Amino acid sequence: MNAPLNEREKALMGMGESRLRKEDARFIQGKGNYVDDIKLPGMLHMDIVRASVAHARIKRINKEAALKIPGVIAVLTAEDLKPLKLHWMPTLAGDVQAVLADEKVHFQMQEVAVVIAEDRYAAADGVEAVEVEYEELVAVVDPFEALKPDAPVLREDLLGKTEGAHGKRYHPNHIFTWDAGDKEATDAAFASAPVTVTQDMFYPRVHPCPLETCGAVASFDPVRGELTTWLTSQAPHVVRTVVSMLSGIPESKVRIISPDIGGGFGNKVPIYPGYVCAIVASIVLGRPVKWVEDRIENLSSTGFARDYHMTGELAATADGKILALRTNVIADHGAFDACADPSKFPAGMFHICTGSYDIKAAYCKVDGVYTNKAPGGVAYRCSFRVTEAVYLVERMIDVLAQKLNIDKAVIRSRNFIQEEQFPYRSATGFDYDSGNYQPALDKALAAVDYAGLRAEQAAKRADPDCPTLMGIGLVTFTEVVGAGPSKICDILGVGMFDSCEIRVHPTGSAIARMGTISQGQGHQTTYAQIIATELGLSSELIQVEEGDTHTAPYGLGTYGSRSTPVAGAAIAMAARKIHAKAKKIAAHLLEVSEADLEWEIDRFKLRGNDDKFKTMKDIAWAAYNQPPPGLEPGLEAVHYYDPPNFTFPFGAYVCVVDIDKGTGETKIRRFYALDDCGTRINPMIIEGQIHGGLTEGFAVAMGQLLSFDKQGNIQGNSLMDYFLPTAVETPHWETDFTVTPSPHHPLGAKGVAESPHVASIPTFSNAMVDAFAHLGVTHFDMPYSAFRVWKQLKASGIAH
Amino acid sequence: MEVNIDKQYPVAAGLDCAWQVLSDVTALATCMPGAQITEQVDATHYKGSVKVKVGPAVAAFAGDIELLAIDPATRTLTLLGKGADKSGSSASMRLEASLVAAEDGSSTLVGKAAVIINGKFAQFGGRMMASVSDVILAQFAVTFSQKAQALQEAADAERVAAATATATATAAEGSTASAAASTPASTPSPAKPAAAISAPKELNALALVWMMLRNFLAGLFGRKA
Repeated sequence: MNAPLNEREKALMGMGESRLRKEDARFIQGKGNYVDDIKLPGMLHMDIVRASVAHARIKRINKEAALKIPGVIAVLTAEDLKPLKLHWMPTLAGDVQAVLADEKVHFQMQEVAVVIAEDRYAAADGVEAVEVEYEELVAVVDPFEALKPDAPVLREDLLGKTEGAHGKRYHPNHIFTWDAGDKEATDAAFASAPVTVTQDMFYPRVHPCPLETCGAVASFDPVRGELTTWLTSQAPHVVRTVVSMLSGIPESKVRIISPDIGGGFGNKVPIYPGYVCAIVASIVLGRPVKWVEDRIENLSSTGFARDYHMTGELAATADGKILALRTNVIADHGAFDACADPSKFPAGMFHICTGSYDIKAAYCKVDGVYTNKAPGGVAYRCSFRVTEAVYLVERMIDVLAQKLNIDKAVIRSRNFIQEEQFPYRSATGFDYDSGNYQPALDKALAAVDYAGLRAEQAAKRADPDCPTLMGIGLVTFTEVVGAGPSKICDILGVGMFDSCEIRVHPTGSAIARMGTISQGQGHQTTYAQIIATELGLSSELIQVEEGDTHTAPYGLGTYGSRSTPVAGAAIAMAARKIHAKAKKIAAHLLEVSEADLEWEIDRFKLRGNDDKFKTMKDIAWAAYNQPPPGLEPGLEAVHYYDPPNFTFPFGAYVCVVDIDKGTGETKIRRFYALDDCGTRINPMIIEGQIHGGLTEGFAVAMGQLLSFDKQGNIQGNSLMDYFLPTAVETPHWETDFTVTPSPHHPLGAKGVAESPHVASIPTFSNAMVDAFAHLGVTHFDMPYSAFRVWKQLKASGIAH
Repeated sequence: MEVNIDKQYPVAAGLDCAWQVLSDVTALATCMPGAQITEQVDATHYKGSVKVKVGPAVAAFAGDIELLAIDPATRTLTLLGKGADKSGSSASMRLEASLVAAEDGSSTLVGKAAVIINGKFAQFGGRMMASVSDVILAQFAVTFSQKAQALQEAADAERVAAATATATATAAEGSTASAAASTPASTPSPAKPAAAISAPKELNALALVWMMLRNFLAGLFGRKA
């Protein structure tokens, strides 16, 4: 007797089910295995001597005192790395970065020397004992100052180089000029437009601040000539390739393992000097070396995000139809260009800045600049500068609405790309796969009673005794994720495909290995659900393995919301190869032709006959033990998926804030987030991802900031100052969704982890500015700490 | 980071005595908690050291002091101090200190300083730097005043001695004059006993925190009042 279809389907716990996270059992019991949990016999410990000043020449480094400390084994400086040609290393952005400061220090907390010792304490004492003498130079922390004719030259190693990795450099502190769109057409549209608006805005330097900091355990076996390194990396295969190229060790003898990772958010994409030094130390000393940075080191020296000084312009008709968008950006990249973008895109996907709107002419230009700050420019829970782009367009459309006195929801509807326009070619060259924006906005407005909120706001503005300012923020965003088609997307020449290998065992369980690596996304849970639905095997029987380059197929890793759009597609394609072979085997077992078979949840059955069938479990056994003549035994497949296009998730967010007129304290009264990420694989995990993304968006908008004083001293690089919201500060999130599948993705899925971060930040800003809109305020910069809001209240003559 | 200080402190001594202390760089340095001159290189160059705690950062600065200008006429001293400590902080200070007379015959120390701090101090101490320097300078001023006062009392003692000498000589003509002479106008009032003048040791963190807390509370009540 066959179980009913719905029961058989439920039993698979496949796509669409809110399957509980398989990772959590070990995490909540403290049984995770992170880099710092790795302990090897004879393991040494490394600590880093860091620059105390932002810009200086190194007069001398004295190791003597450090080497006298019991337990200290070695102190390495740039001089020691020179013979190995490892004192500088290539960055992902085509620049070079000092592994250890070579004669000159370019930013405070830069790596100057490393101390290797028998234990962590001796290493720390050694760091204290290393004496570095500096000849201080004038530090440049402001990119506009850096571009002045008489500005000090920061990168003397590049002197005279007028060609950078991304074209002409017009100033010694200039890195690149990158643009997209049609300048002439855009300028023409502005010249003849009835209405234009312009707005300067600064997207401050922030840091992803993952709970687990960066670290590595390098173990070189001098006998076998093999290097194994456990590393906090979001892209272990790329690290393997780079390490092999730098060290000369064949890639087959380099094994990179990303174990459990405690959050990445882009911070764990770059290759850091600490990794390289630990590896070099292990090769030189022939013993395992562990390096794990502390919180201050993480915040001060590893990949920051944003730091974009943006000027936005819109040209429009009198009734608010946008005719053209123009934007100019000065991008502060710090001391070395170590952005983690696809190599051909030095400003990432910033040219998505036309957003959800049908704008016929657009032109964006970004100039990268060197300053005496830490290098970075990573995609903090976003897809390569999409956050900056969405912020720009969603702020600008509000600025236009205020200028024309048009409702902020109405002006968005007026400019949406219409459903029938998809696939849509944007003015900057993106091919939007699918979208349906108006229904999403309508659903959001209805959910929060937008009309009612505006009425309440009007009443409060009319009442001089009202103690608060009320602001309503709207955002209707479109993101571009899933990098990406290898014809345009590569990192150091490696195409941005991803991969999956599935092996079904004789008894009907399976293991899948991926080129990606989870940092909390729940891959082990969701990937198994995809396979369960594709192959009709219970997800409980499917193991998912990632992060070990010795066992996993080559992939570009997890960042930029690419796991589901790229690796998820690879899973489906690999599973379908297995599915095709399984059908041949089923036909052989049932002694019918493949044409007479139909697939039903977990089995092939004779069309129209429920009693003549073979389940995937039966087929798995047969695949090994009684394959059809001429068909090789086994049931496994590998697929490398090179996406034909990006995916374009979208959504509609609403935020309501109440600002205390006296203190500037801001209360997030309500936050509603509607996301459309196409096909939904695990609604519970999507919910969790959205909560996480919204919370990190809240953090950036309301408090996170890496600031520097005039001398380049980083201010507030500990959690005493750097805002990391907990359940205490975090507002209540209301989530919702629509489903508009991607036409080109095998599953129709688009990716979701980043949308809530990317889109919530401008929603907060739009709400904060909206609170002041009736006072003529069109913009004020994040983060909206009570003090900064209070200053705006004073400037607007409200607080005294 | 930059801290600009512009402060005035009462000195329980007349201009001349106060100037004696101010113009003697070595003596001046010892007024600074935890500071001392370790070597005089030449007429205008000295080597010195100072120990300070700010929040989690402790620093033992060793550095150079250059006497830029010393003007007895205006009783103004200008000096430049630069120092670094091994644990990764560096600081420079341009100080202009001058003395002005107060009505009661005592004097006032006017200090203008531009301090630039780099490294750990600037990273972690930033928030506290202003209040810490207040406390340090307050201690500096107290010690300075004590040293000057000691000189003043010594000077007064001599003058009194001299006066009594003449008085006894002309005893017949009555002692009114000597009475007058024995209370020189320049004596600061009220004269405090300058018994123990000990240059403060390295500023201890607990005391520092306590003083800052006290100032903070004082500030609170000040606002209420």
